[in-house]
Amino acid sequence: MYRVGFDVGGTFTDFTIHDGASGAIRHFKVASTPSDPSEAIESGLSALITELGIAAHDIGFVGHGTTVATNMVIERRGVRTGLITTKGFRDVLEIGRQVRPHLFDYSVGKPEPLVPRQRRFEVAGRIDVEGNTLTALDEAAIRSAAETLLAARVEAIAICFLHSYLRGEHERRAAEIVREVAPDLYVSTSSDVLPEFREYERFSTTAINSYVGPKMGRYLNRFLGRLMNLGIVAQPYTIHSNGGLMSVETVRAYPVRTCLSGPAAGVVGAAEVGKEAGFPDLITFDVGGTSTDVSLVEAGAPAFAASRMVADHPVRTPMVDIHVIGAGGGSIAWIDDAGALKVGPHSAGADPGPVAYGRGGTEPTLTDANIILHRLNPVTLLGGRMKVDEEAARRAVEEHIARPLGLTVEEAALGIIRIAVANMSRAIRAVSTEKGYDLANFALFPYGGAGPLHAVAVAEECDLKRVLVPQEPGTMCARGILMSDLSLDFVKSEIIVANDESWPRIAAQFDGMQERGLAWLDKEAVEPRRRSFLRVVEARYKGQNHEVQVRLDKVPSRVAFAEFVAGFSEAHRREYGYDVEDLAIEVVNCRLKVVGAIDRPRTKPPSAQAASPLAREHRLVHFSDGWVDTPVHDRAGLGAGAWLEGPAVIEEMSSTTVVGPGQHVHVDAIGNLIVEL
Amino acid sequence: MTATLQTSLAALRSDDEGRLADPIAMEVFSNRLLSITEDMGNTLVRSSFSTNIKERKDCSVALFDGAGRLVCQASHVPLHLGSLMGSVTAVLKACPVARMRDGDAFICNDPYLAGGTHMPDISIVTPVFIDGALRFFAANIGHHSDVGGSVPGSISGTARSIFEEGLRIPVIRIVRAGELDEDLLNLVSQNSREAEERSLDLKVQIATNERGKRLLLALSLQMGLTAMTGAIDDLLAYTARRLRNRIRDMQDGQASCVAWLDDDGLGGDPVPIQANVTVQGERLILDFAGSAPQARGAMNVAESALLATCYYAVKTLLDPELLPNSGMFACVEVSAPTGSIVNPAYPAPVGARSITCNKVARALFGAFAQLLPAERAMASSQDVVPVIIFSGQRRRDDGTFVYLESMGGGVGARHDGDGMDGVHVHITNTSNLPAEALENEYALLVDEYALVEDSGGAGRHRGGLGIARQISATRDGIVFSARSDGHRAGAPGLFGGCDGRTARLLRNPGTAHEDELSSKISNLVLKAGDSVRLETPGGGGFGSPAERELKALAQDIRSGKCSRNAAERDYGAERVTQALALAD
Repeated sequence: MYRVGFDVGGTFTDFTIHDGASGAIRHFKVASTPSDPSEAIESGLSALITELGIAAHDIGFVGHGTTVATNMVIERRGVRTGLITTKGFRDVLEIGRQVRPHLFDYSVGKPEPLVPRQRRFEVAGRIDVEGNTLTALDEAAIRSAAETLLAARVEAIAICFLHSYLRGEHERRAAEIVREVAPDLYVSTSSDVLPEFREYERFSTTAINSYVGPKMGRYLNRFLGRLMNLGIVAQPYTIHSNGGLMSVETVRAYPVRTCLSGPAAGVVGAAEVGKEAGFPDLITFDVGGTSTDVSLVEAGAPAFAASRMVADHPVRTPMVDIHVIGAGGGSIAWIDDAGALKVGPHSAGADPGPVAYGRGGTEPTLTDANIILHRLNPVTLLGGRMKVDEEAARRAVEEHIARPLGLTVEEAALGIIRIAVANMSRAIRAVSTEKGYDLANFALFPYGGAGPLHAVAVAEECDLKRVLVPQEPGTMCARGILMSDLSLDFVKSEIIVANDESWPRIAAQFDGMQERGLAWLDKEAVEPRRRSFLRVVEARYKGQNHEVQVRLDKVPSRVAFAEFVAGFSEAHRREYGYDVEDLAIEVVNCRLKVVGAIDRPRTKPPSAQAASPLAREHRLVHFSDGWVDTPVHDRAGLGAGAWLEGPAVIEEMSSTTVVGPGQHVHVDAIGNLIVEL
Repeated sequence: MTATLQTSLAALRSDDEGRLADPIAMEVFSNRLLSITEDMGNTLVRSSFSTNIKERKDCSVALFDGAGRLVCQASHVPLHLGSLMGSVTAVLKACPVARMRDGDAFICNDPYLAGGTHMPDISIVTPVFIDGALRFFAANIGHHSDVGGSVPGSISGTARSIFEEGLRIPVIRIVRAGELDEDLLNLVSQNSREAEERSLDLKVQIATNERGKRLLLALSLQMGLTAMTGAIDDLLAYTARRLRNRIRDMQDGQASCVAWLDDDGLGGDPVPIQANVTVQGERLILDFAGSAPQARGAMNVAESALLATCYYAVKTLLDPELLPNSGMFACVEVSAPTGSIVNPAYPAPVGARSITCNKVARALFGAFAQLLPAERAMASSQDVVPVIIFSGQRRRDDGTFVYLESMGGGVGARHDGDGMDGVHVHITNTSNLPAEALENEYALLVDEYALVEDSGGAGRHRGGLGIARQISATRDGIVFSARSDGHRAGAPGLFGGCDGRTARLLRNPGTAHEDELSSKISNLVLKAGDSVRLETPGGGGFGSPAERELKALAQDIRSGKCSRNAAERDYGAERVTQALALAD
């Protein structure tokens, strides 16, 4: 049986195929097809069937990472959407938290709400904070709003009422009425999408769900149709923002949960590879053409965030915590009018790309600097498929950077890399030391096309002692999909002061979620032995506005109140450095994550090999102290146990690893490169 | 008599006209410094206890060199821009370097004695010794929710002197050679209505500087002290060069603008604040002659707060990405008449300065608009920090609460677009409290939270809309106060744009008992079911309404941001008809 994971990116759609029989893993890419991403998926899968000779019915698992929902929000290509909300709260989506996005730059505006004001309708019907009905629901007003929205040609409606996290009946009744009036519309209610308190974040998440729902559904239909055409019978899964897999039906109902699909898979994959290699604590470092994604993995588990902004709209759903900065291989180097050398934030992107790629780029980029110093192959890249024009890169750096600053071309290229590395290192400190972690215990895990190229320099700057470069670092996200479990998150929000008396009621909040979770596991046909449940209570001291997460390791009804308090105090100390005795604790959210474990693919260990392999070639490579004659190895030629002393350059199709003089690198039993600084 | 308000600046490197010694090292160093201040800022916010610092992030951290030059700052509040300069300068003045010891830390807050902005803002300044010599200062400032004085929160609009505004702290050592002075900490804490919170937060402030100190020491080991000193010189010279280039791009000349406060906080006539901006080559001179005498109440602006507002305006209008350091301050000269509302004489109260600061920003933006190219100018914004305060019994139990919210309003339109609706402007940028959170905590119900229709000034680009927040009491005996402004005159438009709408404060709106209240109201007692509604000002328009695109006009009317009547008045009935003929 074969398992196939693929990640649809902006430029390429990456595939990873695992052969269950031999344990072999193969990778390949096809160009993405942005107008209908499922087209590239079909052509890739079809190539897999024809070229690799895999029978369609032998494909037992298909998982995919998709940016369809995210791109719809970023490019504002979702459907015409309406909102029905509580009287007095029509502008919640537009006012947000009443803060301006930039303290000093007024050209940076707030995003236009995805539902414009004329399609936001208020209806009477008010529930108070205790769940009492203050005003009855005005059903006639809902009917009339639905009719008006239908006439305004909306395709989706979001229903968002105040305090619906506590009592969702009004929203459910409103949805019924809307469906009566307009059975074809896509309808989301905030009590279903995110039953969590704080109205702006809940409304925004629900509005996005509706905004992307119909087109996501159509995309999934095309995707399923193409799989069927190919004769693939396996039910496909989609990776969602928390790094777990969801079925197509769940994605249809909650498309907003796929907002961080691809990047999350990369981190999950990194965590798995790291664990297998004996490095449970990692900083993941994914450098692409225009951006760098950084995240922290502790004890084999990615750090999670409760929310993030997508095109400046808050999306609240549990997700892998990824810090993104605008620095990548395409970042442009320039000198400002006061004489400082800057790298980025502007990027030459994939088009026109770096000067050396000869596709019309004229401004020097980080990639050009790497080519000038021969850290990247100065002749060809992508396994020989792309010609490189080193002279053009040198001319651009000479003209734009070296001459104005009075430097040699090499000094200027070194400067560009040093500055990019400083920017990337700041991102790494932001997710680690600035949150109280000690980097001494972590290894750097670079991937993406340009991660391994800069990893050693970044590790030096951040004082990390080890770097772990996985195989085919350019396709880590697709590979991560094969290492993800099925999962679904549930939340119940009610603010309750926790004490001996209220604790059983709080613990009982998990019962309803557990029931829904079991029903979902049944629907997904997960065997009992593969099921697990993660329970978290989010709580705070009374008067605070930020919650800390307390994990419950037992069935909640068996956790004594005193145990919960001890867990809370510890969590508060870890997060904030102190705890306060005798202060009342308030519970805000109860979260349940339901998991259905999948079998981790066993990878074939690479053949063992003599300690010092021969280089494919030698070339002069510039490290900070000058040109050094450096052996260049093919990654494929390095078997398990291979050991090299720096300087060395290790090339593979999707990436290049650079090891400096005085450093060591070896290949571990599962094929990872381990660089020791 | 006019005083020049320049916190003492050690001279920049004399060769600051020339090429930077090492632009690459400078950029790398700058990233490392930013990591340190981000780290300190996170430590302070994460570990603090009070809502003000933890949730509202009303705090800032900074690094100075041994000469007292600001090298790097992480500020969450523009009103803190450069305000730690005042504290460090005061420390250097109060304590000769020879008497400072490794492990010392200083505390201060007083606007007259120690360069403070107002008493609730307490600074901690920690000297950093490397190889036995004073090389740096780590410093931070936090807004403490109460430091004593006549009212809870220590900000009383009607205070008559600084002695009513809480505990005055001149420069004092709170840590001596590593040993915390518990007695002093106790004295400061016990002068607050929330003693435990003060004590916890001050300890966190001290620890934050200790963390900054450790990170600076590590950096000096990594790169060497000489390289650090060179990079600092480059960084300050670079910042100065960059700002001077922006000043040089402006025409030489002088322009003035007057912004008006509704009153001085205790009633009476409108109060003028005049900004006079002079551009001379690469020099920028900001003067406030023509501004009103100091206020009777607490709306006066202390020196550090005035400088922060000036730096904010310069950075915003000339170079939003400019690094806040002494290189920036060296290019800006500020002066203000002694005894005026923007340079009050001891012991004038200064607690409630935020509304005045935003009016200072309005006057500066108005003066700059005459000297800058149109694409950098901006019409006036709400230019208030409207504050509503409710207190009474909690919802769930018999404990008491104080709920304070400062509200957003409309932003002035710019050449490239409409002003933002409903946000904080200028010196503050704090979040609202969600209605669901508010109703959970307090015996209050939010009836409406919405944009105010027709509040944005018409123009080629429309001013942003103000916010209406209507709240009713669910228990008897809720006490309400408000500190607002802009109830008499709207935000002026620019280049033919119309003014934004004024603010208004109503009691029991939409009922038979509706009445309009004044902008400053204290201790109004509400019964269960009574409501109050504050509508904040809109922003001014930019350019003539006749030039507004029909598509934008149609959207204004369809969205209800403009009523049809107001649109016909401002844009003409014929254009309104044309606009609405466009497809939605």
